[in-house]
Amino acid sequence: MGSVSILLLMFCGFAFAALAIGLGNKLSLKRYNPEKGEAYECGMETQGTTWVQFHVGYYLFALVFLLFDVEIAFLYPWAVVFKEIGMVAFIEIVFFVLVLFLGLLYAHKKKALSWM
Amino acid sequence: MSASTIIFYIVSALVLVFGAMSVFTRKIFRAAIYLLFSLIGIAGIYILMNMDFIAALQVLIYVGGIIVLIIFSIFLTHQAGDKLPKPLFKRIVAGASMAAFGLIVVLGVFYKTAFKVTTEAGIDHSARSIGRQMLDYHHHGYVYPFEIVSFLLLAALVGCIVIAVKIQKK
Repeated sequence: MGSVSILLLMFCGFAFAALAIGLGNKLSLKRYNPEKGEAYECGMETQGTTWVQFHVGYYLFALVFLLFDVEIAFLYPWAVVFKEIGMVAFIEIVFFVLVLFLGLLYAHKKKALSWM
Repeated sequence: MSASTIIFYIVSALVLVFGAMSVFTRKIFRAAIYLLFSLIGIAGIYILMNMDFIAALQVLIYVGGIIVLIIFSIFLTHQAGDKLPKPLFKRIVAGASMAAFGLIVVLGVFYKTAFKVTTEAGIDHSARSIGRQMLDYHHHGYVYPFEIVSFLLLAALVGCIVIAVKIQKK
């Protein structure tokens, strides 16, 4: 029964999205106006393309983010059982996070996280 | 054919189609986005196998982390939005033959293995069970590897900062 309802939900989801986009495309009036093609309706006009080259320093942000993303993966099963294990689990996770906090301090000291 | 089999075929078709599109598109940014959909499809297959935690990790680390890293590296290049040149015929042949070789090896292992049907209950792979084992400090617990992982992550963090700061200074 579970799989049948998932299948039904899948089809309904696809059909709903297809219907909304398809009907909207069919029924709407299409009057071209260059103003409509702009990214913002107010404020500064945009300049140049969106395909700019990033400063290489931002790659560090991505790398540091990925490292702490992996850390979160370990926090999740810990959070599920934290209540039943109690104090021991708390000490274990404090040690775990403290070691990674050293890494964050190192990144801060090396100015890896400063704005370019 | 049961409903879960149909779901499996739909999800694996999505994974394969998006994987192929990611390989064959000539716009590199789109390749990253197709890869993202392909990885989400793999998370769907994990959910079909009742591996909720692994599926969550797949979305968290691969979809949320690795793809972000790939997109960042694409934006580091000059030509993120340009169409890539047509691949050389030599490279197409080399890539196709490597892929075929991989397929033959996998199929060979797959058909040679005598899969045993068992009625035993599988191991408990819920997040609760994983968490209990991870924090257990008794004889069969994994608390020591768990704490070592934090040092591994710290070493990776320090290593990538050292390398990146060196590159920036050049």
